Amino acid sequence: MRAQILGGAALATVLVLASGCGSKKAPEPAAAAGGSGVLTLGASLSLTGTTAKEGGLTKEGYEVCKKVVNDKGGFTAGGTKYTLDIQYQDDTSKQDISAQLVDQYNDKGVKLILGPYGSGPTEAAAAVVERNKQVMVDSAGADDKIFAKGYQRSFAVLSPATSYVSSMVQALSDLANPKPKTLAFISADDGFSKTATQGGTDKAKELGFQVLATEYVPNGTTDVSAALTKIKRLKPDVIVGSVHLAEGVAIVKQAKELGVVPAGGFAETVAPPIPDFAKSLGAAADGVLGSSQWTARTAGTDKYFGGAADYARTFAAQYGGRQPVYQNAQATAACLAAVLAVEKAGSTDPDKVRDALAALDTPSFFGPIRFNSKGMNVTKPMAVVQIQSGKPVPVWPTDSASGSLKWPATSA
Amino acid sequence: MTQFVQATLYGLLQGGLLALVAVGFSLVWGVMNVVNLAHGAFVLGGAYVALELHDALGLDPFVSMVPAAAVLFALGYLIQRYLVNLVVNAPIFITLILTFGLEMVLENLLRVWFTPDYQSIPTGYAQDSLRLPGDIRIPYGKLIAALLAVAVTVALVYFMRRTRTGLSILATGMDRGAARLMGVKARHVYALTFGIAAAMAGAAGAAEGAVRTFSPADARSFTLFSFVVAVLGGLGNMWGALYGGLVLGVVMSWGSQLLSGTMVNAVAFALLVVLLAVRPQGIAGKAFYASRVEV
Amino acid sequence: MSTVDAPAPPRTTTVVPAVAPWWRRSAPWVLLAAGTLGGIALQTQLYTAQERVVGTVFMFVALATAWNLIGGFTGYPWFGQVGFFGLGAYVTALCMYHLHLSFWLSLVLSGLVAGLFAAFVGVPLLRLKGHYFAIATLGVAEGLREVVLNLPRATGGGGGLTIPTLGPDAPTRWLGNDGFYILFLLIAAAVVAVALAVSRSRAGYALRAVNQDEEAAAAMGINTTRTKTLAFTLAATLTGVVGSAQAFRIQAIYPDPSFDTSITELAVIMVMIGGAGTVLGPILGAIAVQYMSEWLRENYTNAHTFILGALIIVTVVLLPQGFVNYLGDAVKTRRFSLLDNVRRYRL
Repeated sequence: MRAQILGGAALATVLVLASGCGSKKAPEPAAAAGGSGVLTLGASLSLTGTTAKEGGLTKEGYEVCKKVVNDKGGFTAGGTKYTLDIQYQDDTSKQDISAQLVDQYNDKGVKLILGPYGSGPTEAAAAVVERNKQVMVDSAGADDKIFAKGYQRSFAVLSPATSYVSSMVQALSDLANPKPKTLAFISADDGFSKTATQGGTDKAKELGFQVLATEYVPNGTTDVSAALTKIKRLKPDVIVGSVHLAEGVAIVKQAKELGVVPAGGFAETVAPPIPDFAKSLGAAADGVLGSSQWTARTAGTDKYFGGAADYARTFAAQYGGRQPVYQNAQATAACLAAVLAVEKAGSTDPDKVRDALAALDTPSFFGPIRFNSKGMNVTKPMAVVQIQSGKPVPVWPTDSASGSLKWPATSA
Repeated sequence: MTQFVQATLYGLLQGGLLALVAVGFSLVWGVMNVVNLAHGAFVLGGAYVALELHDALGLDPFVSMVPAAAVLFALGYLIQRYLVNLVVNAPIFITLILTFGLEMVLENLLRVWFTPDYQSIPTGYAQDSLRLPGDIRIPYGKLIAALLAVAVTVALVYFMRRTRTGLSILATGMDRGAARLMGVKARHVYALTFGIAAAMAGAAGAAEGAVRTFSPADARSFTLFSFVVAVLGGLGNMWGALYGGLVLGVVMSWGSQLLSGTMVNAVAFALLVVLLAVRPQGIAGKAFYASRVEV
Repeated sequence: MSTVDAPAPPRTTTVVPAVAPWWRRSAPWVLLAAGTLGGIALQTQLYTAQERVVGTVFMFVALATAWNLIGGFTGYPWFGQVGFFGLGAYVTALCMYHLHLSFWLSLVLSGLVAGLFAAFVGVPLLRLKGHYFAIATLGVAEGLREVVLNLPRATGGGGGLTIPTLGPDAPTRWLGNDGFYILFLLIAAAVVAVALAVSRSRAGYALRAVNQDEEAAAAMGINTTRTKTLAFTLAATLTGVVGSAQAFRIQAIYPDPSFDTSITELAVIMVMIGGAGTVLGPILGAIAVQYMSEWLRENYTNAHTFILGALIIVTVVLLPQGFVNYLGDAVKTRRFSLLDNVRRYRL
C-alpha cells in the first residue's frame, strides 16, 4: 500500500513537472523562399504487420521517385530550386497509427503526404489530411468508398477498385475466342475486394455474361476449397477471383487439387502480376488472367521517367535487376504527381498544391494522370495481363499489349 | 452428395494437418502449463527451413520435415532451458507474456531474414490428386501431409507411453515434485518437452509449406488455430490434438459448405465456446491432469 | 498475489488495517485528482499529434485498469477484452451511422450493451477456470468479430463503417485532437477511480479472496458467482466505453482492427509488467509499454518489434510479479536484488 502511494505520488509529480517544463514550439516553415530548398513529403507505410510486403513495395516506388528527381538536380517551383526528401514511418498496417502519423507530419510542418498502403489506412489518413488541410497523393488505396465522402484534399493516381475486375471482364469480352458465356466469382470479404466484385458483376451483366455465383471467402485465407466445391457443379467458363495474393494462389492451387477446371480459365485481381504468384504455382499459373495498374507497356511518357519501359529499366538499375511490379509503379506515380503539382503551383503552399493537383492533366509513364472532382484517376485504364511461360504478359488494352491472349487458357 | 463427401474428405485432410500444427502446442500446455504464443513462429520457422533446403539442395518439403524438426528441436530446447525455465514457477500469465515477447522477436527475425514475401515450396505432385468415383478428388500433397501427421502423432504417443523419457515427461507433468524425488531432472525434461513440441511445429511447418503460401505475418493464425485445436481435443490426452484437428477440419469444411464461406471462422469459434460450456475437458480429455490443472 | 500457481512461492499478503489514518485513506484520491490535473496541464505543452499519442496512452491506462478488475483482482485470465472493446466501437458506430444518435448517448449505450452482454455470457464463462476461461473469452471475442463481418447490411462487413463527423449528417461534431485528449484523460481517470473504489471496498476483498482460494471464499460466505460476474460486467462496461470513444476518434471502423487480439495482449502485458491486482500497476505499465512502443516504432523502423519483444522478455524474467508488487515486497523485506527475484520463480 505504502509503495503504491509513494509510486503514485512520484507519477503525479512527474506529470506535473513534465507539463511545466515542456516546450511547445511553433512548426517550422516548410521551406525558405528563394534560392534553394528541400521539399519534404511524409509517408506512413506498413513496413511491419499484415501488409508488410506491399508496404515495402510502395516504399521502393517512392525511393525510385526520390532518386530520379534528385539525380536530375531536383525541380523548380516559383523560382526556388528544390530537392526531394521523403520521410517514412511505420504504421504497422494499422489505420489508427496511420492517422496518428499524418498528424505527426502536420506538426512537423510536413503538409504533403504520400499515401499508405491499403484502403483502410488510406481512409483513416484521408480524414486527417482533410482536417489538417494537408494534401495527400494516394498510391494504393483503391476502394471507391474513400472518395465518396466528399474529401477535397486526397488524390489517387491509381484506377479505382471498381475497375479491377471489370477490366478483365471487358478483356474477356473483347478478346476471348470462343467467348465465354458463364462466370463464377470468388471474392475476399474486405471492402476493396467487394467493391471490385461489384464493379465486375455489373460489367459482366452489361456485356451479356451470365454470373452463376458469387462466393465470399475470408480475407487472406489460404483455403478456398468450399467455394470451389460449390462452384464445381455449376461448370462456369471462367472463375473470376477478386482477391489478394494468398487467396489468389489458393484458388488456382485448390482448383487443381479438386479437379475444378473451368472451360475458359481463371482471372484474378492483384495476385497474378506479383512474381510470387507464378513462383508459387509453377506451371499451374500459366494462362491465368490478371488485372494490373501498370505494365512495362503502359502508354505515355513524362519528363522525369520517360515511358513505362524506361521506368522499368530505371527501377531495375536501382534494385539489382529486379523488374518493377505495379505496386512499385503506382507509388512512384503518386510521388511524381506531387512533384508535378508543386512545380505547377510554383509553391509548396498546401492550398496551391491542392488546386494544382485538382487541375493536373498529364501523360506519364504510369498512363494519364487526371483527377475527377472526387479525386479519382478515372481516365487511366487498367491493364490486363496473362501469365504465359511464368511471366505476366500484357494482353489488354490491345494498343499497349505485348502478346495475344491464349484462349482457352486451361486444358481439361 | 458428392459435394458433401468431397467436403468431408477435404476437411479431414485439412484437419490432419491442423493436428500436426497443434500437437506440440497441446503437449507443452498439458505438461508444463505453458501457453506458447510463439508456437506459430516455430511452425513458420520449419516452413522457412524447408524453403531454404528446397532452394539450396532441391530437397522435397516432406523430406525436409526431418531437418526442420531437428533445427527447431535445438531451438526449442535452448529457449526452454535458458529462458522459459527462469519463470516457469511464476503465475501462468508470465509465461504467456514471455512467449508473446518471443513471438515478436522471432517474427521480426523471420521478416528481416526471409523478407515479408509470400512463399511456397513447389513440388511436382502436391496439387495432383487421386480420383475417386463421382469425381471426388484427394490431392496427394494434403494426403501425404495428413498421413504423416497421423503417423507423427502415433509415434509421439508411443514415445510418451513406452519410453523412459516419455514417461518421465508425463510424470513431471502430473506432479513435478514427486517426479523430482524419483530422480527426474525437471529442467532437462522441461527443455526436452519444449524441444519436442518445437520439433513437431517445425515438421508441421515444412508440410504446410508444401501445400499453401506463407509469410511471416501468418504466425498469429497458426497459434490461434493451435489454441482452438488443443482445447477442442482436450489437454492431457495425447490423441487430443488429432481428434481436435480432425473435428475442426470437418466442421469448418461443412460450415463453409452449408453456410457462407465467410462463416468458417465463426463456426470454429462457436464450436469452441459451446464445447467449453458443455464439456470443458475437451472431446477426448480425461481428468488426466485434474490434480494439477489449477487456477 | 496475482494468480494462483501450484508451487506458489511464499508471499505476504497485503493486510490493510481496519481503520487507516485519514490521510492514508484519502491519499490515492488526492493523487488521482493531482494526476488528472497534471494531465490537463500537460496538454498545453503538446503538439496536436502528441496529444493523439498521449490520448492513446490514456486509452491503454483505461483498458489495462479495466482488465485488472477481473484479470488482476480475481486472477481470471481474461483473454477476450477486445471483444467488448470492439462491441462498444460498433454499437457507437451503428447508433451514430444508422440512428443519428449523438455521440454522448452512444457512449453510454455502448457501455450498457457491453455490460449487458458481459452479464449474459459471464455466467457460463465464469464457471470455467484458468486457460479454459482464457480460450473461451478469446473465442467470444473472435466470434463477435465474425458476427460483425457476416452482417454486411448493418455493419458494412469487411468494408467497414464510417461515422459521419462533418456536415449536416453528423450527429456530433468530431472533437478534435484537443477534445479527444480530454475525453480519454477523463475516461482513464474515471476507470481508475472505479478501480480505486473497488479495490478498497468489500467487493474488492471478495475478489482477492476468490483469487487466493475460490472454494474457501465461498465457504466464508462470499457469493463468488455474483462477485465474479459483477466484476466482469463492470470491466466489460468500462471497456465498451473506451471502445466507443476510440471508434469516434478513428471514424472509419473495420472489423479486424476493432477486434484485434493484440489490444487484449497489450493490456495484459501492461498489467503484468506494472503489477497485477494493484491500482497503480496497470497505470504505470500502460504508460511504460505504450511510451516505449511508440518511441521504438519512431526510431527503429525495421527492428522495433524485435526490441520491444526482447524488452518484454527481459522485464518478465526480472520482474515476474510486476513492478509495483516487487517494489512493495522489496520495501517490506529490504531485499531489492533482482537476481533474488529471478531465483524465486525459476526452475
